[in-house]
Amino acid sequence: MTLLIGALTLGVILALLALGVYISYRIFDIADITVDGSLTFGAAVTGVLLVKYGVHPLWATSAGFIAGMMAGTVSGVLQTRFHINALLSGILVMTALYSVNLHVMGRSNIPFLGVATLSTYCETMAVQVFGGPETQLWGWTVSSADLTMLLLMLTLVGAIATGLWAFFRTDLGTAMRASGDNPQMVKALGGNVENYRIFGLALSNGLVGLAGALWAQYQNFADVQMGIGMVVWGLASVIIGEALTGATGVGIAIAGAIIGSVLFRQLVAIALSFGLNPNDLKLITAVFVFAALVLPGMMKHVSLRKAQGAA
Amino acid sequence: MTTHAQASAVPQRPLVRLNNVYKTFHAGTVNEVRPMRGINLEIAEGSFVIVLGGNGSGKSTLLNALAGSFPIDSGRIELDGQDVSRWPEYRRACLIGRVFQNPFSGTAPNMSILDNFSLAAKRGKFRGLGWAHSRHLQDELRDRVRELKMGLEDRLDSAIGSLSGGQRQALTLLMATWLKPRLLLLDEHTAALDPKSADQVIALTDRIIAREGLTTLMVTHSMQQAINLGDRIVMMHSGNVLHDFNSEQKQRLRVDDLLSRFENVRRRELLDESAAEMLKSRYI
Ligand SMILES: Nc1ncnc2c1ncn2[C@@H]1O[C@H](COP(=O)(O)OP(=O)(O)OP(=O)(O)O)[C@@H](O)[C@H]1O
Ligand SMILES: [Mg+2]
Repeated sequence: MTLLIGALTLGVILALLALGVYISYRIFDIADITVDGSLTFGAAVTGVLLVKYGVHPLWATSAGFIAGMMAGTVSGVLQTRFHINALLSGILVMTALYSVNLHVMGRSNIPFLGVATLSTYCETMAVQVFGGPETQLWGWTVSSADLTMLLLMLTLVGAIATGLWAFFRTDLGTAMRASGDNPQMVKALGGNVENYRIFGLALSNGLVGLAGALWAQYQNFADVQMGIGMVVWGLASVIIGEALTGATGVGIAIAGAIIGSVLFRQLVAIALSFGLNPNDLKLITAVFVFAALVLPGMMKHVSLRKAQGAA
Repeated sequence: MTTHAQASAVPQRPLVRLNNVYKTFHAGTVNEVRPMRGINLEIAEGSFVIVLGGNGSGKSTLLNALAGSFPIDSGRIELDGQDVSRWPEYRRACLIGRVFQNPFSGTAPNMSILDNFSLAAKRGKFRGLGWAHSRHLQDELRDRVRELKMGLEDRLDSAIGSLSGGQRQALTLLMATWLKPRLLLLDEHTAALDPKSADQVIALTDRIIAREGLTTLMVTHSMQQAINLGDRIVMMHSGNVLHDFNSEQKQRLRVDDLLSRFENVRRRELLDESAAEMLKSRYI
């Protein structure tokens, strides 16, 4: 049960990553590798503020979001003002961020020992809410701190997802969605496509930075490596979500990305408990995304062949 | 079909004025093309101008220059009394409504009809955090789409990409004119349609332009459309205005006249080319 709650919590936290990737991948149709850097950047900034400066976790976490937004803004500016290919912009920013993150952290790993974080807040809150360090859930004994953390993350991600859904139904949000769909039309209707993209990438990477900030506090350390390959992780979540929901509208797609993230983390946890070597995780994720990208096309091809054969 | 009243007797400032506009693409390479070679053109408020010309004569480039799709090399473009030469495309959109040749260009295919119109309803305006689908917009949209008699009024939530080319062009036209534009640019907007849909869209075009009294530039390859519609014909050739027929001259024009003018142009072009060939073989 503890394992399940842990996997759930991480899945919910990384749903923010999935939402960020949804924005860049589905709305703007780019694979934005900035994500790998901005996840760590969010974690690093939050970590340093918590450990070195003793900033309140709420502010430190918000700073993680802003850090991610800054990274996304740089990527967006490279793409629009300097006309650098989206993939290359992402690679440049991600690479630059690796050094930046090392500078921010001062070393490659910061443990959050003995400082106030969202986790420690959850521990104190849990005792107040559940009246003790352990509580009963459907007959299972679980740590009330873990449960509180999960509930807190669910609330937070739920609120953010709702806000995102609402945003994409405003005039600005609709224009942003359209600028990924048909930029020429948006320009003809007076939309500043370049600014929409910069803002979209800022928002996307802001969510990813926030995911990094929360993840670091959940696992109690920030590490310069933690972002590596996370864009693929986000893609996997988005793709699973789409497969499950058959996403057409934005609302369903947002819900799908969250469900996809939780489910994917769950699958990974199960695989690990069955003895999957953690070193193989990224390989398997990559193969999974590859299959998800290629299989639908191949199936269509095969069924077309069959149809032609039958005709 | 309708012919539109000419500008009143009082001399007024033209709505559109191009002054010695030049544009060269791929300058200094083998692919160099010069689709605008010192174009001068004035268009009075309320007039409906048909733009004719052979392939590559610079018709689309003229419309794109007005819309601001690219910066011009030199010259001056005035719209509604303002020098817009340096305005980016999105800024000019507050004055201009556009329909493109390709039905895929004018709409966002994966978004609903309602989404698309919510964008059109904010053409050239500030887009903030107000709800895109207001009740008011939905009601008005349903009424106006019903007028099209295409049965689309009950499908406002379906993706616009699922519609036929004719339906999309009709909707794009409605979008371009949802907020009354100072200038309407139509670039062969029926060329990609089957004859029946093309006729439908042309009828709608004429109706909207007449009702709103829109100043319009319409590019077409159809001589029939050129004769039937509008109150002025501008004929382009290699980056310049070759003929300009005003309303009276246009009324006397027949399809045959236009075709023979084209024939002349073509012959001159061939002559140009053969002369160039000859010079090339001699000197290179
Ligand atoms: N954005 C661009 N970049 C490079 N070349 C261009 C561009 N736009 C137009 N051209 C070139 O300018 C010339 C004029 O093109 P334009 O599209 O204006 O012709 P047109 O009169 O509209 O022809 P058509 O009847 O075929 O549509 C062509 O040779 C075209 O290749
Ligand atoms: Mg053209």
